[in-house]
Amino acid sequence: MIVKLEIWRTDSSGHRALVPYEVDAPEWATLLDVLDLIKDRQDGSLAYRKSCRMMICGSCGMRMDGGAVLACKTRMAGIVESGRVPVVSAMGNLPIVKDLVVDMEPFWAKFRAVNPYLQPGYNVPPAGREHRISQKRMNVIGKESLCINCGCCVSECNAMDSSPEFLGPQALAKAMRFVGDPRDGAKNSRLDDLNHEHGIWECTRCYFCNERCPKGVDPRDAIAKLGAESIKEGIDRDMGAKHAKWFVTSAKTTGWLRETELVPKTQGIVESVRQMRFALGLLKVGKVPLPFPPHVAKDVRESRRLHDLLYAQDRRGYEGIVQGEPALAKLAHGHHEGERDPYGPGSFPKPYIKGEGAPA
Amino acid sequence: METAHDVLVIGAGCAGMRAAIEAFDAGVDVALLSKIHPTRSHSGAAEGGINAALGNASEDNAELHSFDTVKGSDYLADQDAVEILCTEAPGDVFQLENWGAVFSRTEDGRIAQRPFGAAGAPRTAYAADITGHVLIQVLYEQVVKRGIRVYDEFFAWKLVEDAGRCVGVIAWDLLRGGLEAIPAKTTILATGGAGRLYVGTTNAYACTGDGMAMALRSGVALKDMEMMQFHPTTLAPTGVLITEGCRGEGAFLLNSDGERFLKRYAPNAMELASRDVISRAEQTEIDEGRGTEGNVMLDLRHLGAERILERLHGTRELSMVFAGIDPIYEPIPVRPGAHYHMGGVDTDVWGRTSLEGLYAAGEVACISVHGANRLGGNALMETITFGRRSGQDAADRAFRFSAAAVPESAVRDAEGELKTILDRREGERPWAIREELASTMHENFGVFRREEQMENQGKIVAGLRERYEHVLVEDKGEVFNNDLTQALELGFLLELADCMVVSGLARKESRGAHARPYDYPERDDESFLRHTLVTWEDGRPSLDWKPVTVTKWQPAARTY
Repeated sequence: MIVKLEIWRTDSSGHRALVPYEVDAPEWATLLDVLDLIKDRQDGSLAYRKSCRMMICGSCGMRMDGGAVLACKTRMAGIVESGRVPVVSAMGNLPIVKDLVVDMEPFWAKFRAVNPYLQPGYNVPPAGREHRISQKRMNVIGKESLCINCGCCVSECNAMDSSPEFLGPQALAKAMRFVGDPRDGAKNSRLDDLNHEHGIWECTRCYFCNERCPKGVDPRDAIAKLGAESIKEGIDRDMGAKHAKWFVTSAKTTGWLRETELVPKTQGIVESVRQMRFALGLLKVGKVPLPFPPHVAKDVRESRRLHDLLYAQDRRGYEGIVQGEPALAKLAHGHHEGERDPYGPGSFPKPYIKGEGAPA
Repeated sequence: METAHDVLVIGAGCAGMRAAIEAFDAGVDVALLSKIHPTRSHSGAAEGGINAALGNASEDNAELHSFDTVKGSDYLADQDAVEILCTEAPGDVFQLENWGAVFSRTEDGRIAQRPFGAAGAPRTAYAADITGHVLIQVLYEQVVKRGIRVYDEFFAWKLVEDAGRCVGVIAWDLLRGGLEAIPAKTTILATGGAGRLYVGTTNAYACTGDGMAMALRSGVALKDMEMMQFHPTTLAPTGVLITEGCRGEGAFLLNSDGERFLKRYAPNAMELASRDVISRAEQTEIDEGRGTEGNVMLDLRHLGAERILERLHGTRELSMVFAGIDPIYEPIPVRPGAHYHMGGVDTDVWGRTSLEGLYAAGEVACISVHGANRLGGNALMETITFGRRSGQDAADRAFRFSAAAVPESAVRDAEGELKTILDRREGERPWAIREELASTMHENFGVFRREEQMENQGKIVAGLRERYEHVLVEDKGEVFNNDLTQALELGFLLELADCMVVSGLARKESRGAHARPYDYPERDDESFLRHTLVTWEDGRPSLDWKPVTVTKWQPAARTY
């Protein structure tokens, strides 16, 4: 098949140009295979990273049509068929070194910032043996353990775009991998560290990281788990935590989000007074309901019952969140039980052993 | 020139990182150097697991593990090395777990173990089907914890020898450009295998045998180079790995009829026979017309969705992306593909080579614990146990060695050689040479080998090496010039291919991965219970032999 694409080339002096390419590639070719054909046969100076070509090393993160992908996971046939000419560029939120190669050091600096190693202590194994932990307990960090550090989530993170110091989805997913590990003895100090400026509460919840992660890590879910666990552990000084807590209180008491109280509860009285002029402006155009008497939703009992149910089932913290998900949902690739019969008409013959009768 | 290190580890996969951690903990100054970031290393692509007689799934011990390994090796393994591996393996696995490795668990919370090929007990500890990934992560975490210096994206090109000692390496800095000399009292090669010699391979693009070739050029011998393992379950067309863990979980191999053909080749072990046996069986089915488009079928359907999603989710993902197959409903088409080099740099049981101060550990090395055929799950174990041992010994020696320095002449020579390559304005781009090498090696030095094909391959490699003399690097820039490093890698591969052919022709018998059914169908212990040894002399491989160490297990007939 003839594959057309355009690549944003950047030379070492920072000069950029969008260059069109056209190659004859086999039907099974991935974006990575196409880049290889270009580099070998057309322009040896094209720079990109690659290694395993099987979605596990995390080298070939890049952007296609503005969204991060692993080049080795991206099959081209469908794109060629659609007639689209994709634009390939380097990942976002990281400095470009050359062409599709970015400087990963800022990425690794964030990784290092979360003390990404087990701090033993909580649960000491018998000498010369392993810790005893149930599979169910390990599943809490099942998705976070899949991270291959490719950078696709960081590339698309909107919070990092406006606040480059934000720890970001990758580092936070790694943090969750330890916070949720029953062998780790530093959970609360980790949560403390993550409850500061540029920590978990700086995430804008745009879900682009979940959307773009090629491995189903779901970094945004990891951040949510860290938030839930922080509050469960009483680590709630951060404005973000206060904000989240007020949402819960407000929903429980009135069934609504009482926005007029949100600012004082989150940012404190002093800051609220400072915001007064802004609030009055909003009031004038009818954007703020009068705070008194509090407006209570008609079916508030439903909301209260939900709240009580979560507490009764002890579904606060990260384990509560995990229980709400189908196990390894992302990995299921949309699998539905009983979708089709693996041995039905047209399927591959049933296995049999010669001399042991007909196929069972 | 960089400041001198006590221990420099080249390659940062499982063996390299484990060695660096051990050396660091011994109290010396250690650095890692790798052409790709440590977590990108190909150890991370290992799927099925790591073998140690933990006894978590059934009764097991180091002696049983040793016997399985020796038998699996077709008796070419050195039995002293095998016993060390199997005895020290459990402690090393528990250490990984204590560091935080996310292993799968048994019902009672211990490390889970699954059956694997040619193993007498369920001995393969695993983390679903991403065991290598989990180990790479935990080792990198420990490297970060210790603050070990990493020369990240440095391409090691030449070992430097001074007064009979290895004193460091000359490497190309990929990100910034330029050659750097990095002196070290002791150097550990942990650069992995050379699967890129073949067109269908499970190996990453990075697996170009750099360490083997560098050692060879420094006068160190390569051992058993003819022993390239073909993994029975790889995906067409490029050879993406489908784990042996599938068969460990109970998957069937079928021919086009749906027949479990292994009944005719390995009636007892069936799908859990050793890899060489199964690869030959598959190739025979395919050659005799009972395959489907050059493949046989790996059938997981009877395992059910739940088990596949829990323990083989990576396999399912690979099958869906690269073959368009959902193994819950359809069998996966698979074929043998180049997977693992049992051969490599000749070392003793501490990873020492014949060159003072130079070590090798992991796939680059040949200790030899795998002999003529490696058991699935033993490679990860070897990287950890022998990575640790080489790190320990290298640190120990570094204490006793005087400071190392790279002679200026060595740097000047390297710069001159590099300039010659980069100044070349006309010549042949590397890709055609690389592709011809890989396709002819597959054709002529694959699962089955014929005398005349191997001889022909020798001529082909000679021709390719001649063409390589005029190889053209198009990118003349400094920054991220992997056009240059890919050309240098091809130079490594060509020399290794030469060594393999010479070794293969010399071994006039069938043993493990070296199968010659047309002229020497039997194993010949009388003449060939010994290792091939190749050194580089006047630009050509020169062949020698080395005895095999036998401790407890006399060679016996090998059936599964």
